[in-house]
This record gives sequence, structure tokens and C-alpha cells, in this order.
Amino acid sequence: MISSAPYVRHRYTLPLSRTTRVLSGLTLALIIALGWGAASGTLGVSPWSVFNGSASELSVQVWWQLRLPRLLLGVAVGAMLAGSGAAMQGLFRNPLADPTLLGLASGAGLFVALWIVLFQGSAAGSLYGQFAAGFLGALCVCLVVFGIAKRQGGGSAAVMSLLLAGLAINTLAGAGGGVLAFIASDEQLRQLSLWGMGTLTNALWRTTALALLLISVALWMLLRSAKELDLLQLGEATAHAAGLDATRLKRRVVVATSLGVGLCVALTGVIGFLGLLVPHCLRLWLGPGHRLLLPASMLGGALLLVVADTLARTLGAPAEIPVGLLTSLLGGPYFLYLLMRRNRAC
Amino acid sequence: MLTLHQAGFTTTPSIAPLDGTLRPGELLAIVGPNGAGKSTLLSMLSGFRPCEQGELHLDGKPLDEWPITTLANRRALVAQQELPGFDWQTFELVSLGSNPCSALVVELLHDLDLTHLAKRSVLSLSGGERQRVMIARGVCQLLSRRSSTAKDGGLLLLDEPTSALDIGQQQRLMRQLRAWAERHCMAIVCVLHDLNLASTYADQVWLLHQGRRIAQGNPAQVLTPRRIEEIYQVNINHIAREDLSPPQFLLAP
Repeated sequence: MISSAPYVRHRYTLPLSRTTRVLSGLTLALIIALGWGAASGTLGVSPWSVFNGSASELSVQVWWQLRLPRLLLGVAVGAMLAGSGAAMQGLFRNPLADPTLLGLASGAGLFVALWIVLFQGSAAGSLYGQFAAGFLGALCVCLVVFGIAKRQGGGSAAVMSLLLAGLAINTLAGAGGGVLAFIASDEQLRQLSLWGMGTLTNALWRTTALALLLISVALWMLLRSAKELDLLQLGEATAHAAGLDATRLKRRVVVATSLGVGLCVALTGVIGFLGLLVPHCLRLWLGPGHRLLLPASMLGGALLLVVADTLARTLGAPAEIPVGLLTSLLGGPYFLYLLMRRNRAC
Repeated sequence: MLTLHQAGFTTTPSIAPLDGTLRPGELLAIVGPNGAGKSTLLSMLSGFRPCEQGELHLDGKPLDEWPITTLANRRALVAQQELPGFDWQTFELVSLGSNPCSALVVELLHDLDLTHLAKRSVLSLSGGERQRVMIARGVCQLLSRRSSTAKDGGLLLLDEPTSALDIGQQQRLMRQLRAWAERHCMAIVCVLHDLNLASTYADQVWLLHQGRRIAQGNPAQVLTPRRIEEIYQVNINHIAREDLSPPQFLLAP
């Protein structure tokens, strides 16, 4: 009557070759994009000439102090925004979740702006203070959004109220930003508008190094959640029965995305739609499994932001288009297209 | 395998305390009118909503003392239909929650008549097909995570597994559940609406009404015509067959 366990257990993963192929392909593309970004700009310095010493002193300075940190920051911010987009879509089980759409980015933005106006000039007004403010802002919004999602349960009503909550938070943050701009001094106003447009211009080694470190931590936390995010797709009760501690997973993803997105916003302002666009396209190509989707989104986001930023630097040179503008121009129409397609499917 | 001592919920939706045991290889059907507390009871049995009074033991150990991942080796849940947010392939979805060898997945897909859908996106499947995919996933979790020392096949909890199936698939599924219960020595709990299915295939039936268990025992003891007419507020014609096979019910016109 009692049969012995007849099935040998072994790990079923995606065929290794495919995962490796996709990830190494994306890495290669990223390296090529970095090479292109490193070589182009208002001041034409090739990375090659920097290393073999044929470039002028000034060029070397520009390359090391401005261009390189900027590229690295682009990689980190792109990876973080797209990675957190992928993770949030998994967490809400909804392809329309995204740090900008749900108001995470603008909430962080409001807190950072508040910080600039309140503490500018004092020691607390340093960039580290801005980091903390961004983190707090994103965390607050995340908790609010989560509360709403929890109250509504699953289903399409929840999606609607999530998007509406995001809209409300975005509007509120916009209004708050307006008020701050109104009461700010000229000096503060200059700093606010410099920061708020969504650019990678402010990349300095001092801040970039810390940002890279913290963002790596956040990315690692997200990558570690991949398998659990897969399980969560079964619905909470079923996932619980399959061995998932959903509370712990949610806590980890919320902290990681808030930390990462808050940092990104504090450093670069709001760069929109990256978190929506990249995971969504990749999911169409690679399927919904997070073990491949998360790292691929991170690489893809880094790739897209490096390319977009290089375009932003060179298209209108010597002037510069804010890269946030570029990604929003790209992402806005795509989002509308997504909505239209969803409506047709209903 | 599963024992209840006065287990229940005091907060709404409440379940009046109940006792009971379920042995490996047994199929328990939980029946009752809409809103009787069937799904609530199932979520108590799965440990998703821990019981607020009394005790619930699995393998002699209180359910809330099991680590969540170890518990997942011993019991699986197939909840009522919930649309997965993304377009998983059938094969991938069945493998979620465990690391099954592909032979097991292939076998389960075959058992549930899903082989031809293995590469399809689950969002493109019909309701009944998707329901069978989710059942295959639950069984797959139990069988592939089963430890080599386990004496039985674990506990499978199903919430209305036949709600979207045609009668042919209903029969095939219930026969398959019996076969799994026997072959793998698995204990199975099914929330069912179809009393005839419960009567035909279950070893034990629990009849719930307004959060209380009205009756328990084998189908012939529990599913008496008078009781059913009273609780469901329905007029039925009862077919009691002479060969002592389980009672069947027809709606009176």
C-alpha cells in the first residue's frame, strides 16, 4: 500500500544555456554601450587615449571626474529602477506596477525637496541627508500603497485603486513641490530645479561611490527574492501552502525598492517609466519567471539608461537634454499603448 | 495524520469547535450551502488562518509549530480559481513550488488530460483547463517534495476542484483523486458542491451549515434526503439503490 518515493528529486531550472545566453548577451550589450558612452560627449575623449596617456590633462580630468562616475551612476540607477519595477510587478502581481506610476518616486522627490528647503546649507542638508529623505519618502508611499492593495484584495478593482492612489500621490507631491518652490529662496530654488529634472549630471565620485554600494545591496536583496516572487504568483493562500512566508518577502522587497528608488531620486530626480518599460518588454520575450526576469531587467535597465543618457548628452551638444525627459517621452506612449491593449483584451 | 480537537474560529467568519481525524489514503468531502464556512475551514486546515481555539495536529504536531517550508513538504493547497497575473506556461506553472523532475510533471499532465497543453500559456486556457493545471501543481508539490522517509503521501487540500469541469472531467478527476490517495497513500480534503460526487467518491463527509458541522460520517450516514432538503432548502428526489451503493440525488422538477 505504501509506495516508496518514486520520483528522484532534482533541480528543474530554465535550460541553463538560455539563461546564460540571455544574461551574457545583455552584459555584452551593456559593455558596448558603456564603451560608446565613454567615448562620446561634448569633449571627444576616447577611453583608449586616457589610458595610453595621449590625451591632454584636461581631457583626462574630465573623463575620470565627470564621465566615468556618470556612466557608473547610469548603470546603477538604470538597474535599480528597472529591477524594482520588475520586483514590484511581481509583488502586486500586476504588470502595471512601477515606482513612478505608484508614486514612489514622486513621494521620495517631495521628501528630498522638503529636505533641501528645510536644511539646505546646514550639515544635515548634505547629500547623505537627501539620501535618507528619499528613502523615507519612498518608504511612506510604499506603505500607503500597500495598505490600499491589502484592503482591496486581488482583482481588477485593486488595480484601479492602486493606479488611482498613485495618481493622487503624484498630484499631491506635485502640489507639495509647487508650494516648496514658492517658499524657497533663490538659492534653494536653483538647487531644486537642477535636481528635479531627472538628470545624471550631478554624478561625483563622493556620492556615486556610496550610491553604488547601497544600490548593490538593494539589488542583491531583490535578486535573492526571485524564487519567492515566483511562488507568490500562485496567490497568497496557495503560496503560503507552498512554503512562502509572504510577510517576510513583502518586507524585504518594500525595503529594497524604497531604499533603491529613494536613493535614485535623491541623486538624479525622477526618471520615469524605466521600471515599467524594461521588465514589461523583457517579460514578453523571456516569460514571467523572476529568476531570469529580475537580473535581465537590471541589465536591460542599465543598458537603456546608459544609452538614453549618452543620447541626452550628445544629441543637443553642447546643451544637454534631461534624460528623465527622454525616458518619459519614450515610456509615456508605451504606457498608453499598454492600457489600450489591456482594455481590448477585457 | 490530521487530527482536530475542538478546533475552530471565534472571530467571524467563525467555525464552531470540531473534532475529527483523517487517515492517509482517505478522501474527506466537506459539503454545505453557500457561506457555510467550507473555505474558511479549509484555510484553517492548511494553516493559512491558524485556529483560534482547540488544537489542530498534523502528524501529531500542532500545525502552528511546523516551520512553513517543512509544512509545505507535507501539505499542498489548491485554492479557488485565481488568475495568475502573468502568462506562465502550463509546464512552468505545474513546477512552481517545488523542483520536480520533468518525468513527474509529464505524468501528472497526462493523468489530468493536459499533455497537449503543456507548452500553452495558462492565460489562454479555459477555466476548466486552468483548474486542472492548478490541481496538477498541488499534487506535484506534494510528490516532489516528499521526503524519502515519509510513510505517506501528505495532505492535499482542494477548494471546489470540480467547479469549472464538465461531467466527464469531473468523473476523471474524482477517480484520479482516489487513485492518488491509494497509490501514494495521500490524504485528500475536498470542498465540494456536488453531493453526488461527494457521495460517490468520499470516505468521509462533513456537512457544514452556518459555521457549524451538522453531521459527519460516511456518505450514506450524512447525506440523508431529509437533512439535505432541510439544510439546502431544496426539493429532491432521492435514489437509494438496493446494492448499497452511495445515495444519489436528483432535483425535483
